[in-house]
Amino acid sequence: MSDYEGGPSNDDDLSLPRATVYKLIAEMLPDDVTCAKDTRDLLLDCCNEFIHLIASESNEICEKEAKKTIAAEHVLTALRELGFEKYVAEVKEAYSEHRQQQTKDRGRKTNKLKQLGMSEEELLREQELLFAQARMRFQNQTTAQDQTNGSGVPGAQ
Amino acid sequence: MSAVDTSTTAASGSSMLPAARVRRIIKEDKDIFACGSESLFLISRATEYFIDSIVRESYEFSRLDKRKTVQYKDMAKAIQSIEQYDFLSDIIPPTVTVRKPTASANSASKATE
Repeated sequence: MSDYEGGPSNDDDLSLPRATVYKLIAEMLPDDVTCAKDTRDLLLDCCNEFIHLIASESNEICEKEAKKTIAAEHVLTALRELGFEKYVAEVKEAYSEHRQQQTKDRGRKTNKLKQLGMSEEELLREQELLFAQARMRFQNQTTAQDQTNGSGVPGAQ
Repeated sequence: MSAVDTSTTAASGSSMLPAARVRRIIKEDKDIFACGSESLFLISRATEYFIDSIVRESYEFSRLDKRKTVQYKDMAKAIQSIEQYDFLSDIIPPTVTVRKPTASANSASKATE
């Protein structure tokens, strides 16, 4: 999955993709209403600030709990703390739908493994076998080298 | 990421904002060690709701002025009139201030200048 949106090459210019945001703006306004270009650009800057704000606040909450990775709960608390409670309900709903989607995707992946027809134990045994074979091959290689070179350990004198 | 959908993303488990880009923006903050993918999703969705709110609020000011184009000053007014958007006040140049100064607002702006 590549970041193929023609994104900015310079990190300083990092912002959300214009086309996507312009589209969102158009969807949120009535059909006969437009948004001036400088206004749209202002909105892009506002989005950046918003993301930084939420992320920063989430991070503080995360650190207070002596955790290192920002978790979903931290984000929800951050939204409440910053006065965006009205987003929380909808974000929560989107979150549960998102998790349902993830479970479906995970289900598809585990099915792949099941389709091999082997249990986890069998798979582990097969893996051990492959490792052992590789080890033997490696040992045979080094023994063969010793016999031809006669010097064995490199650097030894 | 799912393909860009023409319908709104309301009640859907995906975001229209590309995860990789949002993650890069978050990572600009050096204090942040790591952000889980679920948190990333929540932040993306929250940003979409933010866009929705601010666009609608800006449009209100356009309507009051009987215009069909949302202009910079409309968004500036929206930012200034809502407390939660105080964090955005630095983005707008001070010359665009249009709110009628009350006594307290006057002393506040004088303090910050």
